[in-house]
Formats: sequence, structure tokens, C-alpha cells
Amino acid sequence: MKIVLYLHLHQPWRLARYRYVDVGSGQTYVDRERNLAIFRRIAEQSYRPAFLRLRRMLEEDPGFRLSLSVTGPWIEQAREAAPDLLPALAAMVHTGHVSIVGETYYHSLAFLLPAPELQEEVAMHRAVVRQEFGTQPRVLRMTELAYSDDLARFAAEQHFSGMLAEGWDGTLQGRPPTRVYTSAAAPSVALLLRHYPLSDDVGFRFSSREWKEYPLTAEKYVGWISRLDGDVVNLFLDFETFGEHHAPSTGILDFLQALPTHVRSYPHLGWATVEEAIELPKFGELSAPRTTTWADQNRDLGAWLGNDLQRSAFETAKSVGEIVRRSHDPDLLDIWRQLLTSDHFYYMYLGGHGADLGVHQYFSAYGSPYDAYATYMNALTDLRQRALRAPAAGEKGSTA
Amino acid sequence: MRHPPNPPVIDGPPPAERSASAPEPVGARRKEPQTLTPGRPVPHTTRQPPLPTVVVRPTAARREALEGLSLDLSWHRPPERAPPPDRSPLRPVHVVMVGWEFPPFHSGGLGVHCYEIVRELTALGHRVTFLTPFPGPFQDGSGAEFRTPSEPRRAGVGPTEAYAPGSQFWTGDGVPTVERYNEWVGSLPDPGQVDLVHVHDWFGTVGATTLARRLHVPLVMTVHSTEYDRSLGQPTPEILQREAFGIGSADRVIAVSRHLKQQLVERYFAAPDKVRVIYNAVRPASRADPKLAPAQPMVLYLGRLAAMKGIETFLRAAALVAPIAPRALFVVAGDGPEYPRLLTLAAHLGIADRVLFLGRVSEDERESLLARATVFILPSVVEPFGIAALEAMAAGVPTILSKTSGVAEVTENVFTVDFWDIDEFASRIAELLAYPALRRTMGELGREDATRHGWAERARETTGVYREMLARRSGRHP
Repeated sequence: MKIVLYLHLHQPWRLARYRYVDVGSGQTYVDRERNLAIFRRIAEQSYRPAFLRLRRMLEEDPGFRLSLSVTGPWIEQAREAAPDLLPALAAMVHTGHVSIVGETYYHSLAFLLPAPELQEEVAMHRAVVRQEFGTQPRVLRMTELAYSDDLARFAAEQHFSGMLAEGWDGTLQGRPPTRVYTSAAAPSVALLLRHYPLSDDVGFRFSSREWKEYPLTAEKYVGWISRLDGDVVNLFLDFETFGEHHAPSTGILDFLQALPTHVRSYPHLGWATVEEAIELPKFGELSAPRTTTWADQNRDLGAWLGNDLQRSAFETAKSVGEIVRRSHDPDLLDIWRQLLTSDHFYYMYLGGHGADLGVHQYFSAYGSPYDAYATYMNALTDLRQRALRAPAAGEKGSTA
Repeated sequence: MRHPPNPPVIDGPPPAERSASAPEPVGARRKEPQTLTPGRPVPHTTRQPPLPTVVVRPTAARREALEGLSLDLSWHRPPERAPPPDRSPLRPVHVVMVGWEFPPFHSGGLGVHCYEIVRELTALGHRVTFLTPFPGPFQDGSGAEFRTPSEPRRAGVGPTEAYAPGSQFWTGDGVPTVERYNEWVGSLPDPGQVDLVHVHDWFGTVGATTLARRLHVPLVMTVHSTEYDRSLGQPTPEILQREAFGIGSADRVIAVSRHLKQQLVERYFAAPDKVRVIYNAVRPASRADPKLAPAQPMVLYLGRLAAMKGIETFLRAAALVAPIAPRALFVVAGDGPEYPRLLTLAAHLGIADRVLFLGRVSEDERESLLARATVFILPSVVEPFGIAALEAMAAGVPTILSKTSGVAEVTENVFTVDFWDIDEFASRIAELLAYPALRRTMGELGREDATRHGWAERARETTGVYREMLARRSGRHP
């Protein structure tokens, strides 16, 4: 039984409050300083201390394996806010025991847009990964772990050998997530399915004193894993789980570092990168006509495109995108793609009512979903004006 | 380098979209003078239930913002709910309610509140004797027994004409009127089987206290606003005294928002345990007919034209929005002392042709304004509650509030703006005019918030306060 530990590194470029009366003023949409300040804080609490632990784990246990995905906005912010992080990451990758996973550069919803947007963004990500880490990802994950048959076909066309997906019961139809499957739509693509109960034990429940398993020790956790049947257990988590979602004082970093020791005490357990795991024997085919994600109860796109505000924002972004593409202005295209980052839509999530909404707002960069929407729409309104004024506007050559 | 902003023109309510329907507002109270008698010591034995705790699970959380927000959620306290959780019916009680306004003799939220709460209390089987200086006839359906000084038995209190609109009370010199009212209230013959006296705002606090002591029953006071707020920090001493006297002598005080409770504690030294928060409510509005959605978007203010309402801010914001929303109409409905100044200001801002001053509007007119409005705005400098905004929300009109409004405590489905931030008000108006999905969502969810708790529930919360009082009393007098 192989354990695949895959951690996701991403920070969005959050928008500054951009008012309707500011449209046309030339004000930038993003408050760089604020974003960088947030990044520096998270680097301090999570990235640096967790990198340190992971490096030790790699040094001390030659069997330990790790997989990471790193988004473009994360890399851009790291370069400015915490320049020591990228070399530290590269050093880990150079051990040969760490895989980098492919995705869109902007952590975007490009998979919902007409070609060639998705292909271009994935290619951009490949380029930055090659530049920073000198590797070529063979496994693809889509934003928010979105997965469908269409995306599997896309992965095959782009020469990826595997994809990550949520181990959702609807997809598995009673089969275990602890096997490696292939896509029914694209047999050359192997599927690694997130073991969400075990992943969420760490991601969501680790520091919850109301949880009956609290406190969770590495020994207990590895014990649970050891009793699973199958070939692989896929633990997919946000990197910020370690030190940010759960503060260092909860013991989360010690928990992480203690994992390899306990894994070694079970002879049948070992580690694998995603690229190693996709070579394991395949257990059958999975089809996924519907897009699944790793979010919320329904594992669908509801957290990003579930309400009117979100859909309206996305539709507007789509139509502005056609104008931007026609302008052939690379700066505008870059700004537009930043606006496709999924986080912007997540901030417009309305949730239920009362306390639910409060919880979501707590994690939002804005005062309210309405604020997030208005700011986003104002930025798009401004971008549309700029694209229409750009010299090439209206010319032929649109690819949208 | 910053260029002069050049926001795109909003061409009416965006095509393919319908504007929402509208709300209506109510004004503030007037002032009055005073004589005082010393208060008795105030007991405070009951406890406020703890605020619900928001449990933050990193659930949908994920990487997100995480921003500078440590784990402090204190900025997002859920709205305070009904005070005492005791839901068992209170045995029928007899309340003498010492009021002032009562529809149709009202200019603001106080009158509406009294009508609705009395109506629901009597519907619950309680008996309400309502005291008011106005002569009647009063709006049907409240179920109250009215006593007014005009009753022959009250002869000697003074001509009832003194209380009619246009009398000296209404022109500002109301001291003798209030004094006479209090004398009359204080000397009211025992109506029989009275369980409580409940006074609204400062008008009748002195008489109500005298009456409650004479009848040996507890005194409850509802505070709808404070003199500090109504006067924007320049209180009339006589009014302030009557207000403070009532707050001091009442056994229990009801405030219409947390914000107001805070003021009562900080400025009037009310013991926090003695003050309950019971919000206002609205009756469910009839849904506006979408077919009536106007070709011309309307931004509506509805309420008294008083300084505390911040209408100047609305006009200045309107001046910013007017050029980018060339079809929008800005409507100011209501009257009050600020009218001449606001009229002049609109002219000075060059938007006289874009602002419609409607003056005082009837109930029917209110309703149709709310049904037709695209955006409702309540930019009050001070707003202890703001029933008008709640009514607008109930009618499905997306609403912009100043952050200081009490009504902002019961909903998150509005825009809130600092009362002085003209640019932000302008932006919020423009955004609501420009983005149909925003109007629709905020209108629908605002409507749900506004109609979730009706007057019946507020009346039950009020009887909860009565129950506490009576339980204590029966402890004293077995």
C-alpha cells in the first residue's frame, strides 16, 4: 500500500475595492501590497516551517515521497514576498523524491471556457515549472480538483499520463478509492482518487476538540491507513493545512514530521509520488460524465458557479474575454486571466444564511459576497473599456 | 498615474433585467420638555442569554483569503435573537401602554411599532389599554382600548386640539402639552386588573412611572431612539432628562437594536442586564408586479427629512451617479425641517431636474413607491433601527444602509456604507443600477431576511419580558 501525499500551493491575487466611480481611472485591480502582506504572514506561519520539516523528512527517510502543485500566482507572490521559498522548493524537487503536478497557471476556471484557453494556461504552467524546477509534470490536476471525462480527454491530448480527482462515491460507484483506475474516456490517463475521509481528518478535523478522535496522533493515523485494503491511499491537501489552517501550536507540524517513522513500522506501507502511483496496476475504468470537485457536500461547482452572482460574473468574464483576445494585448490578456482565478468566484458564494454566511465571509477577501461581486464586475467593466480602446480592437483574428 | 475616472454610462435598468420593487421609510420623533421626579433604584436580576457562538470550520475554507484575519470573529456577531427562550404562553395580562403617536397620528416608526405590537399582543389574548394624547379615531384592528385626555372624565387636562397636527406641539413649543399629558397619565384612575405599565420613548415617562408606582406594577420602557441621536449630539435638556428618567426608573428596558442598547448602557448608565434587544419587524409586502418594472430606474429615499437621516449625502452621491446613469431618477419622499436646505442643495449640485421631492406621502403612495423603486437608500448619520429600510427589503428592493443603522444587525443582504462616504454611496447605487444579478440576488435574499421575523414574533419576545417582570413580582407578593 502506497501513500501519496500531495499538497497544493496557491494564493490568489485578491482584488482591491474597485468602485464603479473608479472605472476608467487607471487604478489597478489588485492591491499588491495587501496580497504580499498576506503571503508573508502565511510564509511565516506555514510555508517556511513546513518546508523545513519536509526537507528533514526527505533527508532522514529515503523512502519518503511528496507531490506538490504550485500555481502561477503563488510563484509570482513568492518571488516578491518570500524569495527564499522558491529555491527551497527547487531543492526539494531536486532530491528526485518530489513530483510537481501540472495545472493551469492561474488556478483558473479555464476548463469551462472555449479552447484554446485551457490549453494555453496549462502550457504556461508547464513553462513556469520547467523554469523554476526543471521538471515536466506528467500528472494533471484541474482547479479545485475538477474532473470529468472531457478533462481526461484533454489530459490525454496534452500528453499527461494521469489525473487527480476526488474519490467521490458518485464517481466510484461502490468501488474503493484505494485503487488506481483509468479513465473510460481516455484509457491512457490513470486516475488517482482522493481519499476524502482520511484527507479531511487532517485538513478539517485535526484541531477540532469536538472531534471524537481528538487529538489525532501520527501513530493512530498511520494505524488507520495500515488497515485499509488496496494499493494506494491518496491524501490530497491544501499546503496551508500545515501551520495556517491549523496553527503550529496545534501540533500539526509535529504530526506531519512523525508520519514517516510510523509508516516504517508497517512493512506493507510505503510512499509514492503521483508519478510513481500512476504506474501501479489499474483496477478498472471510471467514467465521469459530470464534473466533480473537492468542495463542499455536493462535490460540484456550486461553490464557484452555484448562484446568480457567480454565474453572471463568469458569463461577463467570458464575454469580456472575447474582446480582450481580439485586442491582442498581452497585458490585458494576463489581467483577464488573473480574473479567471477560481477564488474570485468563491468569494461570491452566498452559502446558507446567518452563521454559514459568516463562516464563508471569514475566509473571504471582501466584506460580503455582494462586495466581491461588485468589485469584480467593476474591474471587468474597466477591462472591457480598456480592451475596446486597445489598438487592435475589432480586428479579425479572434480565437474565442 | 491616475486618470480622471470615466465610468461607463448605465443605460437604465440593464436590458434583460427587471428592476426590483421598492420599500418605504418612516421618520423620527419630535421633542418635548420636562419635569422630573427622582427614579427608584433599579433592580437587575435577569441575565441576557449568551450570544450564539459562530463555529468556524475550515470546511469550504481552503486556501482562500486567510488574510490578516486571525481567528477573531467578533466583527461578525450573529444577530441577537429573541431574548428569553421561554416559549410557553404567558397567561393573559393587562398592559397599560403609555404611548404618544398612534396611526394615523404618526410621523415615523414609533407609531407603526405601537400599532403592530399592540395588535399582536391583543391577538395573543392580552389586554392593552393604550394611552395617547391624540384624539382619535385611530387605525382599526389594533384591538386596544384607547384612553385619551379628550375623554369627558379627563376634563381639565386641556383641549385636545393642542395635540392635533398644526398645534403648538407640532410647531416646536410643546412643553405644556407634554407636561399635561404626563399629569393626565399619572393621575389616570386605575383601569382595573393592571399587570404592567409599558411606556414608549420619553414622552410619557414621568406619568408612566407615577402610574406604575401607584398601581404597584412593574414598568417596562421601549426605547426607539435617543435624544442624542435625534439631535445629532445637541440634545434638548428637558427631553434628555425625561428619557434618562424613564430608562432609570423602568424595571426593564427594551431597545430596538444592539447598537441602541450599547448607547443606553454607555450614555444612560443602564445596567446591561436590564436591557433587552427586540428588533422591529415589517408586515410581508405584496410582491411587486414585475410588469410594472420601470423603464426609468428609481433610487428612493423615504422618510422624514431630518438632519440625522443624512439625506444630504444621498443628494451628493446622486450628483455623482446622475451623469453615469442618465435615465435614473432620484426620489426623496417625506417632509421635515431639512426640506428647504435639501431643495437648495439639489439645485446647487445641478441635479434639480433629476431629484423629485414628493413631500409627505400616503400609505398607498408609499406602497407604490416601494413597488416601483429600483434601489432604496437609507444614509442616516444615526439610525437606531430604520423600519423604512426593512419595509423596502420586504418589498424586494435592494437596499443601501449606513453602517450605523440598527437594521443592519438583522441582515447581511444589503450594502452598508460609512455615513460620510459619498463616493462609496455613489458606487453602490451605480453598481446596483448596472448589475441586474446583484439587484435580483440582494432583493430576494433581503426580502427573506426582512420577513423572517414578523411582528407576532416580536410580540412574543415582548411577552417574554413581561413574564420575567411578573415572575419577579409574584415572588414578592405571593
